[in-house]
Amino acid sequence: MIQDVLHRLRSIFRRDVVEREVDDELRHHFDLQVNRYLAAGLTRAAATRQARIDIGGFDQVKEEHRDARGTRGIEDFWRDARVAIRMIRRAPLFTTTVIITVALGVGVNTLVFSVVEGLVLRPLPIDRPERVWFVQRPGSFVSHSFPLYRELRDRNRTFAALAGYRITMMHVETPQGPAHTWGYLATGSYFDLLGLKPFRGRFFHQSDDVAPGGSLYAVLSYDYWHTTFGAQDSVIGTTIRINRQPYTILGVAPPAFRGTEVFYRPAVWVPMMMQAQIEVGNPWLDNPNTSNTWVIGRLTDGVTPAQARDDLNAIVRRVAVESGDPTSDPDVIRLTRPGLVGDAIGGPARAFGLGLVALAGLVLLAACANLAGGLAARGADRQQELAIRVAIGAGRGRLLRQLLTEALVLVAIGGAAGTALAALASAALSRWQLPIALPVQFDTVFDGRVGVFALVATVLTAVGIGIGPAIRAVRTDPHASLKVRDATVARRWPFRDVLISAQVAICVVLVAGSLLAGRNLFAAMRMPLGMNPENTMTASFDLGLAGYSRAGSDALRRQILERLRAHPGVQDVAYGNSFPLNIDQSNTAVYPDDGRELSRKDAARAVTYQISPEFFRTLGIRILQGRDFTWQDTANSQRVAVINEALAKQVLGDTPPIGRQIRFGAGGASVTVIGVVETGKYQTLTETATPAVFGSMLQVPNTTTVILVHSPRSRVEMADVLRRVVQEADPVLPLIGIRPVEDIVGFVQLPMQAAALALGAFSILAATLAATGIHGAVAYAVSRRRRELAIRIALGAQRQGLVQLLLRRTFILVVIGTIVGMALAYGLRTVVASVLYVPVAEPLWFWVTVIGLISVVAAVACASPAWRALRIDPAAALAAE
Amino acid sequence: MSTDALDLPQGTLDLLLLKTVALEPQHGWAIAQRLHQISSATLQIRQGSLYPALHRLERRGWIKAEWRTSNLGRRAKYYALTRRGRTQLEKEVALWRRLSAAVAEVLDAV
Repeated sequence: MIQDVLHRLRSIFRRDVVEREVDDELRHHFDLQVNRYLAAGLTRAAATRQARIDIGGFDQVKEEHRDARGTRGIEDFWRDARVAIRMIRRAPLFTTTVIITVALGVGVNTLVFSVVEGLVLRPLPIDRPERVWFVQRPGSFVSHSFPLYRELRDRNRTFAALAGYRITMMHVETPQGPAHTWGYLATGSYFDLLGLKPFRGRFFHQSDDVAPGGSLYAVLSYDYWHTTFGAQDSVIGTTIRINRQPYTILGVAPPAFRGTEVFYRPAVWVPMMMQAQIEVGNPWLDNPNTSNTWVIGRLTDGVTPAQARDDLNAIVRRVAVESGDPTSDPDVIRLTRPGLVGDAIGGPARAFGLGLVALAGLVLLAACANLAGGLAARGADRQQELAIRVAIGAGRGRLLRQLLTEALVLVAIGGAAGTALAALASAALSRWQLPIALPVQFDTVFDGRVGVFALVATVLTAVGIGIGPAIRAVRTDPHASLKVRDATVARRWPFRDVLISAQVAICVVLVAGSLLAGRNLFAAMRMPLGMNPENTMTASFDLGLAGYSRAGSDALRRQILERLRAHPGVQDVAYGNSFPLNIDQSNTAVYPDDGRELSRKDAARAVTYQISPEFFRTLGIRILQGRDFTWQDTANSQRVAVINEALAKQVLGDTPPIGRQIRFGAGGASVTVIGVVETGKYQTLTETATPAVFGSMLQVPNTTTVILVHSPRSRVEMADVLRRVVQEADPVLPLIGIRPVEDIVGFVQLPMQAAALALGAFSILAATLAATGIHGAVAYAVSRRRRELAIRIALGAQRQGLVQLLLRRTFILVVIGTIVGMALAYGLRTVVASVLYVPVAEPLWFWVTVIGLISVVAAVACASPAWRALRIDPAAALAAE
Repeated sequence: MSTDALDLPQGTLDLLLLKTVALEPQHGWAIAQRLHQISSATLQIRQGSLYPALHRLERRGWIKAEWRTSNLGRRAKYYALTRRGRTQLEKEVALWRRLSAAVAEVLDAV
């Protein structure tokens, strides 16, 4: 057995030596045989001839040896690979096309897989991640109130542990100076639930998270420890100042763990009991109306997710009954995979990922169809060569293997190039910073799984494009092929024709999809925003974190506005806690206050803002009725609010809204409506009319501040002015960011832009593939039928008729492909629509455009070969035969 | 070359080769000659089947090869029986005897 293996290994690695030995042995035999005949009295010539006849062909004998050595497959592979590489040198144009096509197909798929792997597929780097679930409310409001979290934690019987946490920002004084830093507030159960081992020091536990305001502990992320603390072990146990309080650094998280959200890079974890100190001015740990807690849980062994979900929902219903509040409506809880904030981001991310995978798969399919067509044409060209080889005794299996090896070598080069391209693109994507304040990053990966994916995609491509043409070529009947030069087996539906139709169909699907996406993007960009984001710059900071009192905050903001207003070129200035389409949005339940008993169904969930006077004018929001806030609407005067048209309609019905009373939350204060503004877009561009309510910042304090400046001057100049003015007002106030409103609004369009971009790129790829596929087929037909065409021309055929003759078949194929593709696109349109979050309604012109584009692609592809067919010189063509 | 030479029945070549090299190490041509002579020129082994068979036996570890200088002063590859080859030979000889006896019996009886 071992000897057998050694023998084979020697045969492979010392192939030249082994071959030479066989040669020597046969030569020896031959010489002795000649000597024998010489001894028997034959002449040398006769003896040599007779010996040769005895032996048979030298090479044939050697081939049989190779079989006996048992290393046949591998040796043949190397030989075939060398032949393939020679073929590549001989047909550089064809092979370059194949390699580029494969590189694009495999590269696109690998890149998409790396994105989907990083975003959706890869589990969190925690202990037994499959047992950990995100506990969410339905829809995009996934978080719970902290009191409800406590009830869930204490009453459930299905979870080994529950943890509450939240992404938050804090003001950390580091060795490099003060900075706004992003991190997590997390309950003491967080790290123990995840089953993590600290990289240095220790994590905080349940017992460290009991004293509200007294749990001054911090855990650093590995990256933050590296970049900000120089990876010094000595910082463990020392204190850092966060929001002006000293926190003890307990430990460092492991390098692979970047929090429980895959797109977020936190720096610090702080116990939940410090919420009021971290989110200054907005304590909500005991407030059942503020739902700011994200909840994850680890299931008890043996419990299914469905049992756990039912358990939690029973608790939620009991809590609602016990609260005795008629407006409290029990949430319906669902369990989703952790990592993407439940359905809030996970829903669209998963749908988008699935869409991308499907699109990339289609492109690869089109590439395969294209290449299979090309190889089949080449195979037909080599029919004679193959027929000769079959005739002189080459095994068909051997030929099949050689053709497959040729395909494999081509595809392997293309696949390697594509994988390299994908690796570059993937690295670029994970370095890409979004234009928003949150430390969001696409954590694309290029690990072993992606590598295996690329390899499998490449091999499948090779087999996919090689096997059909190879079998077809090998099945050639040598008699027929050698007798007739243009031996074409008449078939109703040749393989290549099916491939052409398939390519056209895929191209139609992708072109229709990208047109749809483009149309929706265009529509979204023209959609009325309910404001004018042009020429407005923002500067944001947080006065609570900087230690300002309420009165101090009002005074500072007022002072900044005055200084800005004094600047030449500044038209309008205002401030708010946020603004429409900013990433930071909060919402609240609004009730009509007309003396009736409150019930949940009268309420509307409204996006909430606290703003200064002239906020509407600065952002170009039209006031439809009533008035704007004034500087006289202060804490000492009547509480007032401005609502949008949607809220007026939903809560107050058709009655005149001005002067009416509304309440924020069931137990909130009564507020008088003084104005109605137009309804805009607040959270996404595709949302339907959403209620919104604006309060006066002077009456409802909020430390989060966004200063807005409207000016026709350049962005750079205004950014400079903003920075200088804020610095003059408070030299140590850290700015969170200075950004144009337009850029921030642009971020909201990102998913749609990404979808349109991806579809556009995919459809250009598919259109190119379809064009080259059709071109190749027609050009091939022209070259094959050159003689026939020449004879027809010589006999006086109309050139117009010739073109018809040539293109009729192609035309039929394109029509069939278009019909199939449109049927597919129509069937898939709901899928596409869900990815792009758009309504589906394509007018007739949409389909007409699709057909028009395909016709152009087909016409361009056919033009040059058809032109060449027309210019055939019959005399020259026939003389060449 | 005798015109009435027989081609060997399938599977018996290995047996004959093992037997031939059992006496002393031989090179390929000598093996072919020896078989030809011993069988009174009845058995003709073509080179095309001889060498693949030798290599196959070598790979199975029944014979081993060695390059030596022949009587005529040329380098030649000599094949010798191994211990495992000897066991195999005995097995195959016994098998062949039983088979041929059985075949002979049938032919005589009918």
